[in-house]
Amino acid sequence: MRVDVGESSPTTGRPRSVRRLWHDRWAVAGLVGFGLLVLLAAGADLLTAIEGHNPYDYNNAALDPQSGTPAGPLGGVSGEHWFGVEPLTGRDLFAIVAYGARTSLLIGLASTVVSVVLGAALGLLAGYLGGWSDRIISRVGDVMFGFPYLIFLIAVGAVTPLSFPRPLLLIVLLGFFGWARVARIVRAQTLTLKQRSFVAASRVMGASTVQVLWRQLLPNLWAPIIVVGTLLVPERIAAEAALSFLGAGIPPPRPSWGRAIGSAVDWISTDPMFLLFPGAALFVATLSLNLVGDGLRDLFDPRSV
Amino acid sequence: MRAARFVGGRLLGMLIVLLVVALISYLIFYLLPADPARLACGRPCTPANLAIARDFMGLNEPWYRQLLDFLTGIVAGRTFGSGTAAIHCAAPCFGYSFQQNAQVIDLITSRAPVTASLALGAAVLWLILGVGSGVLSAVRRGTAIDRLTMAGAVAGVSTPTYLLGLLGILVFGFTLDMVPVSGYVPIVDSPVDWAWHLILPWLVLAYVNAALYARLTRGQMLEAFGEDYIRTARAKGLSEKRVVGWHALRNVLLPVVTLFGIDLGALLGGAVITERVFGLPGIGALMIDAVQSLDLPLLLGCTLFGALVVVICNFAVDLVYGLLDPRTRGGNA
Amino acid sequence: MRLRRIVLPALALALVGCGANEQQPKTSTEAKAGGTLYILSDRATNPFDPAKSQGLPITTLGLVHRRLNAWNTAPGKDATVAPDLGTDAGTTTDGGKTWKFTLKDGLKFSDGSPITSADVKWGVERSFAPTFSGGLGYHKTLLEGGSTYKGPFAGQELNSIETPDTKTLIFHLARPYGDWPWIASTAAFAPVPKGKGTEATYGEHPIASGPYQVSKYQSGIEIRLTHNPQWSKDTDPNRTGLPNEIVFQLGQQSTVISKRLIDDSGNDKDAVSIPFVAPAQLAQLQGNASAKKRLVTSSSGAVAYLAINVTRGPLTDPRVRQAFQYAVDKSAFQVASAGSAALAGDVATTLITPGIGGREKFDLYPAPPTGDPAKAKALLAAAGHPAGLDNLTLVVSNANNSAEKAQAIQAAVARAGIKVTIKPLDSDAFDEAITGSKGDYDLALLSWQADFPSPNANLQPLYASSEIGNGGYNVSRYSNPAVDQAITQAQSVVDPVAAGKQWAAIDKRIMQDSPVVPLIYTRNSFLHGSAVTGFYIPEFPAYPNYLQIGLGQ
Repeated sequence: MRVDVGESSPTTGRPRSVRRLWHDRWAVAGLVGFGLLVLLAAGADLLTAIEGHNPYDYNNAALDPQSGTPAGPLGGVSGEHWFGVEPLTGRDLFAIVAYGARTSLLIGLASTVVSVVLGAALGLLAGYLGGWSDRIISRVGDVMFGFPYLIFLIAVGAVTPLSFPRPLLLIVLLGFFGWARVARIVRAQTLTLKQRSFVAASRVMGASTVQVLWRQLLPNLWAPIIVVGTLLVPERIAAEAALSFLGAGIPPPRPSWGRAIGSAVDWISTDPMFLLFPGAALFVATLSLNLVGDGLRDLFDPRSV
Repeated sequence: MRAARFVGGRLLGMLIVLLVVALISYLIFYLLPADPARLACGRPCTPANLAIARDFMGLNEPWYRQLLDFLTGIVAGRTFGSGTAAIHCAAPCFGYSFQQNAQVIDLITSRAPVTASLALGAAVLWLILGVGSGVLSAVRRGTAIDRLTMAGAVAGVSTPTYLLGLLGILVFGFTLDMVPVSGYVPIVDSPVDWAWHLILPWLVLAYVNAALYARLTRGQMLEAFGEDYIRTARAKGLSEKRVVGWHALRNVLLPVVTLFGIDLGALLGGAVITERVFGLPGIGALMIDAVQSLDLPLLLGCTLFGALVVVICNFAVDLVYGLLDPRTRGGNA
Repeated sequence: MRLRRIVLPALALALVGCGANEQQPKTSTEAKAGGTLYILSDRATNPFDPAKSQGLPITTLGLVHRRLNAWNTAPGKDATVAPDLGTDAGTTTDGGKTWKFTLKDGLKFSDGSPITSADVKWGVERSFAPTFSGGLGYHKTLLEGGSTYKGPFAGQELNSIETPDTKTLIFHLARPYGDWPWIASTAAFAPVPKGKGTEATYGEHPIASGPYQVSKYQSGIEIRLTHNPQWSKDTDPNRTGLPNEIVFQLGQQSTVISKRLIDDSGNDKDAVSIPFVAPAQLAQLQGNASAKKRLVTSSSGAVAYLAINVTRGPLTDPRVRQAFQYAVDKSAFQVASAGSAALAGDVATTLITPGIGGREKFDLYPAPPTGDPAKAKALLAAAGHPAGLDNLTLVVSNANNSAEKAQAIQAAVARAGIKVTIKPLDSDAFDEAITGSKGDYDLALLSWQADFPSPNANLQPLYASSEIGNGGYNVSRYSNPAVDQAITQAQSVVDPVAAGKQWAAIDKRIMQDSPVVPLIYTRNSFLHGSAVTGFYIPEFPAYPNYLQIGLGQ
């Protein structure tokens, strides 16, 4: 659970012109990187059709008959298999990375949405209502920050029956364990906004709590929410990969970067390419999103530039 | 008096949090599709043997009764079975692991030095590295140093610990054979070996975390530079060093301390993945073993321990916060 | 305390073991006494409590504890039962319902007290107490009164074990059982001084009857075994007790263990490992000539199989189950297991594993190693499923790259139109799922090694209807009263040759109903240091015999 910059510096709320974003080279690079990955995920069917392999077929011909390692250097990279093959099974690594992108992006984005919705709601309540609601929500959030959530997720994963779709379970659980960060930021911003005159004015005019929250506060919160949301996605993707690495994420045979990395651990010294390709994909995904998030934050909070 | 109320209130809060965690954990683990008695049953496991084992472990009681037994055991100790071969779990009894034949608290304390060595060593490194490079970046804003540091930082927050750890093992362990790839040597046996086995995990953890702190520190310092009191200090003719050292840095301390408390708490509760990757027999590794072998008493004990450490660190952070920032003393959360 | 290793002038590497490694054309010398043997373990503990052990007689527990009977293993031969504490392997005069053992003279515990029949009886009784349950318990239901006995710690004795004098033991069984000598070789039949062994941590400092005793037990770090001066080779032909000291290094990562043994430097020359070599390391070895010579692969081993839950939906039809026999791709399974057929093990077609007396080889469903999807489809169509099967659950354990092997099965049966979803579970959750009473799965992938070298141990635990649920390993939930009766009948036969014929017939009978698809007989590969001698893997079990290892140079 990472707590990143921006926690204690509530933004002013009014963004600069979005066009300014294009001048931030790093953010653009991040957008490009992320865009490429989205293309990879969306176009996985097409690309793997061009290459001629899917991530499920066993391909013993591509393996060394003595040992099961990929035949050929660099883990079997060739025109036939752009990223090489997986040892012991011969499955195409490019197809695994491409379809794995789908899994990671889907779960990362969806669980972030859950975190954001839950966190914004709770942060708003904590900040606006204050008193006991604030105390309880903040305390719980604090504990959740440091909680050994991986263990919990593994345990809960063991409890749920197979009939419950695993991706949905991961989205809900990963989303649930991310609300604390969003709530913290939203709460801080709400506290600041609460003092503003337009809020007081609307109360005087008889607006109910719900109306104040919905009409006055929320529209001014979307900036920090977007920033923390964008910075949360790579973390969720990494968390899903970590779960799969420990063997508790998406079950086989659906490709997953984390599970591929987990399998690659044993083969580090014999076939390092097996680790490098999904590892690089994961790194590029998280890096791009972090760069975009940074760019957005710089956009909305000129003081941190 | 106010301080006493502050401390008292916090302690009560901690206790409530721990109780809630215990309750939720017990419910979830109780729902696990595993019968711990079955593992103690042997092969072949007949229904008669299973019944005897369940009775012995106290599993025939309803879940609230079991939870109550667990909680009273913390204060008064617990006994399983009867006769000369009964198992006594001395107070404070956080559970008894039938699989490892030891009290949970003994297992945790035997592993604690490993986790503590890992966490504290890395923490020192990342504090120095992170805050230091953040300050440097802020002071030299816009220069090559700033850009380089921030590039390194953003790469650091984008790399999962286990990936970096695996790469480190591949390069420094297997290929260059510079460091041992796994294992732990207690400091009392050989301080050199102890450090040598930990240097790679320290560096990996330190890099990933320092990246975060560097970004945070830099942001906070830049924000502070824009503040009025800094401009005042500069206007007063104070040297750059004093401006940076005293005034701006104090602004940074609060968020850094908060973050540090949380991070350290999480790490001391068991750095699950790092310990797994580097083969360190710490509390995180214990927890993974507990989940995989469905050792419920151990799992519950470790979860509570983790929550306890987090809560204590939060408390410490609150205390330091209260000391550093007079505005929050005696105020609410 | 480390003793100087005695250095030999001649090289001694007597490697025996069929399979992928080459025979060593070197002169073999006798292993000499002395030196420190290192055992590298990936586990955090290695307790020596006989009541709680499910271990084989020839592995680590046998270093510290002797039993009533032992296993006689030799390279290339079937395992036979041999007397250990007794003068013979047990005699019966009433067709297997009563068995008599006579202890040898001059047997002593490590604390100097003599080993008497009362101590053997106490050891068996102790295994019934809940504090010490968890080991192999075949004897618990076979001894009269065993199912209600709760152990000796409340002052009660198990009367079906008679000790008329200090050297004689008479066991009264509830029914005739020809394999009792094998049961007497399980760990519970190790002697514990009467009245002792009440503490739960007895396994950390037991009173030894074997060549070694535990001098230091540090969980997660190391265990040291030193010579038991009360043990004498004269009364123990099954053990050599050559090394002076044995050191267990605990909690090592298995990849690191393999690397250390491959590198073979320093003390690792005197080392063996508990976990077997993983496929990734096997691949690494192929390029390392010295390591390849020190790799010993068993000729056979546990049978890996796909269990079909015969109580679920379309799987109740035997034709549907037989379709699986043709749909699987056993050669892909071999590669997924260990990289090549030679390292993984031979294709399996019988339920009794090789190396066990009485086994007959047959194949009721001949097909090429890659399977016969066309025939599978035809069988499914004949059973009313022309479009194949959908939504079947395959549970598998997370350990030992079983999830990858399950994927090989999944891909193979998909060729016949059978769609399978894999559910990987942590090993204990997996055990719970398959041995529990709910049976909430369609297929399961697992393997089974007999607990003792009799066809009985391959068939009864897996196919008798009494072993369904409640912790039993009849994972396919197969229930056939005729087979149950045949099993009980075969168990009562005392002559192993006659019994063997009956067991082979039962093997065929069960395979006709096709409740499981046998896949391969899994080979295990082990590495050892270059100074280790006497290291071999017998026909059965597929584990090295630790009791005969020595060190040379």
